[in-house]
Amino acid sequence: MKRLLAVLCLGLLPIGAGAEVSDRGALIASVTDQHILPRYAALAETGAALAETAEAHCGADDPALRAAWGLAFDAWIGVSHLRFGPSETDNRAFALAFWPDSRGKTPKALRAMILKGDESVLTPEGFAIQSIAVQGYYAMEYLLYDPEIATLGSEAFRCDLVRAMAGQIAAVTRAIEADWRASYAETLRRAGAEDNAVYRTEEEGVQELFKALGTGLQVTADMRLQRPLGSFERPRPNRAEARLSGRSVRHVILSAEALDELAGMLSAGSPSLAAQFHEGFDYVRAASVALDDPVLATVSDPAKRLNIETIQAVLDDLREIAAVELGSHLGVVAGFNALDGD
Amino acid sequence: MVTRRGFIAGALAAGSVSTVTWAGLGDVHFLSAAQDREGAYRLIGMAETGAAIFSVPLPARGHAAAAHPSAAEAVGFARRPGNFAFVVDCLSGAVLHRLEAPEGRHFYGHGAFSMDGNTLFTTENDFEAGQGVIGVWDRSAGYRRIGEFASGGVGPHQICRLPGRETLVVANGGIETHPDAGRAKLNIPMMEPNLAYLSPEGAEIEVMELPREMHMNSIRHIAVRDDGMVAFGMQWQGDRAQAPVLFGAHRLGEEVRLLQPTPEQHAALNAYVGSVTFSQDGREVAISSPRGGVVQVIDLEGMRVARSVAMADVCGIGANAAGFVLTSGDGRVARYVGDRLEETGRQDIRWDNHMVAV
Repeated sequence: MKRLLAVLCLGLLPIGAGAEVSDRGALIASVTDQHILPRYAALAETGAALAETAEAHCGADDPALRAAWGLAFDAWIGVSHLRFGPSETDNRAFALAFWPDSRGKTPKALRAMILKGDESVLTPEGFAIQSIAVQGYYAMEYLLYDPEIATLGSEAFRCDLVRAMAGQIAAVTRAIEADWRASYAETLRRAGAEDNAVYRTEEEGVQELFKALGTGLQVTADMRLQRPLGSFERPRPNRAEARLSGRSVRHVILSAEALDELAGMLSAGSPSLAAQFHEGFDYVRAASVALDDPVLATVSDPAKRLNIETIQAVLDDLREIAAVELGSHLGVVAGFNALDGD
Repeated sequence: MVTRRGFIAGALAAGSVSTVTWAGLGDVHFLSAAQDREGAYRLIGMAETGAAIFSVPLPARGHAAAAHPSAAEAVGFARRPGNFAFVVDCLSGAVLHRLEAPEGRHFYGHGAFSMDGNTLFTTENDFEAGQGVIGVWDRSAGYRRIGEFASGGVGPHQICRLPGRETLVVANGGIETHPDAGRAKLNIPMMEPNLAYLSPEGAEIEVMELPREMHMNSIRHIAVRDDGMVAFGMQWQGDRAQAPVLFGAHRLGEEVRLLQPTPEQHAALNAYVGSVTFSQDGREVAISSPRGGVVQVIDLEGMRVARSVAMADVCGIGANAAGFVLTSGDGRVARYVGDRLEETGRQDIRWDNHMVAV
C-alpha cells in the first residue's frame, strides 16, 4: 500500500470505514449481466470466428488466421480471471489455456505429434482426448509463430492440426458460454435462495466475484510479471507469456482492463474505493504502454527493469487494497486460515 | 525497527540442544504458529487453554513444527516459500539454532525426526528442477545440513515417520511452485500427487497414487498411527462442484481406503482439508476445513464421518486423552469431546494452520 501511495499519492480508507454494500443481490446481478456474460459471449464468438477462419486460412503466417487467433486470445485474457463454474467444469479452462508451461510440455508434445503425423488425432473426437498441452490458444501460438514448429513435418498435417485446434477452441468456448446462459448465471444471481446448493448465501456469491478479482491480480502480478522478472541476478525473459507472438505486455493491459471493470462494479457504493482501483489500473495500463517492450525483454536490462517492477508493485498494492478494503466493504473478509491455506 | 540480521543475532541464545525431556516440561501441551495482535509472527508453546507458556518471535509467517521424540525441543518452520526454521527449547522458549534452507531450496513448512532424534528431515522445494526433496539435518552437529534426497514427487508438504520404525511417509502434494511467482500454482492440470514411503536414506519403499481421475486432489496433510496406518487429507484443485472425496487412509502394502461421506458431509468441507490428527486411541481421525468452517471426526474402521462441528476458520487440531483441541484463525481454542464443543479461551491472536502435540 505504501508503494501505491508513493507512486500515485492515493489516500487510503481506514479499515472498516467503507459502508458495507447494501444490496448484494443487485451487485451480483450487475457483475453477472454486465461483466461476465458479455465477456463469455465474446469468448464464444471469437472462438467460432477462429474456427471458421481456419477452414479457409491455415498457413502459419496467414494474416487472417493470425488476426482471428489474436482476437480469440484477447477474449480469453478478458475472462481468464473468472475461474469458477462453467469454465472449470471438466477442466475446460485448462483445455483452452495450458499456461504457464513451466516444463516446456507444449512444444515437446506438439513436436512429437507433428512428427508422428497420426491423422486420427485430427478429428474433433480424436483431438479432444489429446493432452491439454497441445490444445488451446497457447499451443496454437507455437503453430503460428514458433520458427521451428511452424515449419516442422508435413504442411498438410500442420494445416489440419490448426483446424483441429481452432475447432476445439470453438467447441469449448461455446460449451462454457452455453452453460453460463442456460443455468450458471441464474445460479449466481440466485445466490442465497433456499434451493441453491452452490451459493448457499448471497455472501458466498459475492465472495466468488471478490475472489475472481484476487485471482486475476495474482495471475498478472505473479505469473505475467514476476516470473519473467525472476531476480535481479537472474532475470527470466524466456518466461514471458506469449512472447513468440509478442503479446506479453498486451496481456497485462487486457487483464488490467478486465479487472478494472470488475473492481469498479464491486466497489459500488464507495466512489473513493472505485477511484483507487481505477487510478491503480490506469497506472498499470499507461506504464505498460510506456514500456515500449512487448515481450518484457527489458527484465534483463538493469536500468529499465525497475519500470516493470513498479507495475508489478502497483498490482501487489491493488491486491492488498482488494483483500483488505474491498473485502471489508463487501463484508467478505476471509479468515486467516481460510483465505490462503496450505 | 529490528533488522532481520539483528533479530537473528538476538534470538539465538547460548546452548546447543535441550537437555530437558518432555516429561519435565509441565504446562506446554501444544505448539502452534500464530500472528499476534500487532501483526508479528510467533511460535507459541500453548497450555491446553491456548494460553502462551512461551512465545518465540519469527521473522515471517510460520506454518507447523516438529517435536523432538525425547528432548523438550521442537523445530518451527516458515510457511512456504520460507527459508527459515527455528529450533526452540520448549522449556524456556529460547532459540537454540536457526536453520536456513540452502541455495535453490525453500521449506514447505513441515519436518520429522528420526527415532533417536539425531536426524531431522524437512520437506523442501528444488524449485529450478520443480522437484521435491527431503533435507537431512544432523542434530548432534548443531543441526548441520548433511544431505538431501528426492521426496518421490513434486511439492512435498507434510512428512511423518511411522511410529516404531525409521520409515518416512511424505505427502507429495503434486503442485509445482517457484518463489519467483510467489505462491502461484504452476502445474495444476499436470499435477500427480502421491504418498511416498521412503527409507531414511531416501530409497523408495512404496508410492501410493490415487486413480487418475483424482490427480488434481493434492495430498497435503497426513497423520500416522502406531500400527503404521497413515491418514491423509486432500485439497481439490479443480472445479469445486466436481470435487472427489477428500480423505483416505493407507498402510504400506495394503489397498488405500477412502472416506464415504454423505453429500452434505462432503460439501461441508468445501473441497479443502487443512489438518489431520489421530485421536489418542487411534480409532478416530479429526480433519479440519477452514474454508468450510468445520471439523469432522472420522471413524476409521467404517470410514464414515462419526460427528462434526462448525467452527469458523478452524484449522489446528491437537489430540489429548479426552478428545481433540481445536484452534481457529480468529483466536479461539476449543475442546471437542464427544459431541460437545467447549471454548476454553479466546485471544486477540490468529492461530495458524497446525498444532503439534508435545
